[in-house]
Amino acid sequence: MKYGKLMWAPLGIVLAGILVLICKKHVMGVQRAAELLQGVDWSFLPWLAAVALLSVFLQYLLVRRQADPLLLPIALTLASIGSVEIGRLKASLFMPQLRWLCVALVVMIFVLRFWRSLQQLLDYPYLLGMACVIILGLPMLFGTEIGGSKNWLVLGPMSVQPSEFGKIIILFFLAAYLSDHQQVLTAAKSRLLVLRLAPLRFIAPLICIWGLAVLMFVVEKDLGSALLFFGIAVLMTYMATGNKSYVFLALSFFGIAAIISYMLFGHVRVRVAIWLNPWSDPNGMAYQVVQSLFAFGTGGVWGTGFGFGHPGFIPEVHTDFIYAAIAEEWGLIGALMVLLCYVLFFWRGVRIALKCRDSRAALLAAGCASLMLLQAFIIVAGVTKFLPLTGITLPFVSYGGSSLVSCFILLGILAALSERRRSRA
Amino acid sequence: MPVTAYILKGVRVVLEYGMLLWLLWFVTRLARAMFREVRQQHEVVKEPEVQRTEAVVTVLEAQEPELQGQRFAFAEEITFGRGAGNDVVIPENFVSHKHATIYQQGNQYVIEDLGSRNSTYVNGEPLQGAAYLQAGDEIRIGMVVFQFER
Repeated sequence: MKYGKLMWAPLGIVLAGILVLICKKHVMGVQRAAELLQGVDWSFLPWLAAVALLSVFLQYLLVRRQADPLLLPIALTLASIGSVEIGRLKASLFMPQLRWLCVALVVMIFVLRFWRSLQQLLDYPYLLGMACVIILGLPMLFGTEIGGSKNWLVLGPMSVQPSEFGKIIILFFLAAYLSDHQQVLTAAKSRLLVLRLAPLRFIAPLICIWGLAVLMFVVEKDLGSALLFFGIAVLMTYMATGNKSYVFLALSFFGIAAIISYMLFGHVRVRVAIWLNPWSDPNGMAYQVVQSLFAFGTGGVWGTGFGFGHPGFIPEVHTDFIYAAIAEEWGLIGALMVLLCYVLFFWRGVRIALKCRDSRAALLAAGCASLMLLQAFIIVAGVTKFLPLTGITLPFVSYGGSSLVSCFILLGILAALSERRRSRA
Repeated sequence: MPVTAYILKGVRVVLEYGMLLWLLWFVTRLARAMFREVRQQHEVVKEPEVQRTEAVVTVLEAQEPELQGQRFAFAEEITFGRGAGNDVVIPENFVSHKHATIYQQGNQYVIEDLGSRNSTYVNGEPLQGAAYLQAGDEIRIGMVVFQFER
């Protein structure tokens, strides 16, 4: 199998991580080697085997369909780092994470299998737009507040984060809408001061998306997803039209919204205050960020070694702040490699987009790739205090079913778009 | 028990660094595979461009019998106009003495209007200053239509 060797890395990382965690018990007071294996909860093994089998099958499928063979190894490596780190941070979540990984891989197989039908969704941009508004609006009405933002839907035993799936629909909507109206938006005639813009009725859907992002931010206190949605809308518009006027318009819109919400809402002021000077209140409001910065400092270049840092001090370390834990235990080198994985993934995605003949497919592929990079950037920037802290998941790495499944759907879309015999009737 | 302790510690350290190095190995392998692919594609794209250093302008439509069906091959520059010093002489009243020129710039050819009265048309659009030409573009000067090929 082409690039089959790359598939060994994720498996190796997971197995080595599990062995390290078992050996670590020695330090915790277990005296004899034989006792080490006692009391280990092996219930994750079937799931690990299932993930391995599914991923080998998927890679085989991708190679046979002449799709891009490098995407899946990148995603799996990131997922393996994530799940092993979760197993170290919260051992009880290791098995659920592997289970979600299984589900995500199965969903990805379905995306590949039914891509022809899914692609037809692109023919109905307005329905997609409305679906997006409804999905994002649901938590505003019926949402439950978990971890400070009201963006969860509780459905019986599971809780779902609809914005994770809303972002995929928004990608479809933007790709379909922008490529349908590319001509109008690009050859914009009417002028507003120095801006060249299309007539209002063609920009209105875009303004709706921006407004929706701001609303999410205000009502659900979900700063991260709002930033993500807004950013992806701006990026896609720029990629489709090449007109900087829209970017300028969007940024001024964003600036005004940011200033107004800063003046009106306390939680926004708190976020900005933490960002500007976390040391004014290191044990209170800024505790999370300060602990994360300490984790980065402790890690140094080579890290404290897997399992031997103290990332447990950071609240929410297994979801939003997992990057701080990785930076502490894997050091600067591990953290940089994780970032490089995202960058290479993005590069690969852009290359897929450039090869697409259809402008909708090209926009969709470029959107998937940049969404992933943007999401990774926003959360890494938040964790390292480069931007005000925004709670979203690190794609493929963080704990969370919704996040994993939606990331693998995006991966499936990219892989399906990279298939060579992709002639659309 | 110190022996097992040391062995276990050794195994653990090896595994810890092993994970990190495995990640490093993965990323370098990945980057190398991707760069190699890009380089191969560059080579495939470059080859035809280097060999073709000549362009041809074919007359598609002309009133003048001496121009009909003519092909003008050139490498660096070709000039159009009513004046006798031009490479392609078009004896029409609508054509300026020095009307337009096509010249090579790097791997591409550029058409430039030399300030003519009645403008040069590329694919039906009046030419503003200079523009890059692509194979198959139609150029109209006065009543004569040329096709640019390379």
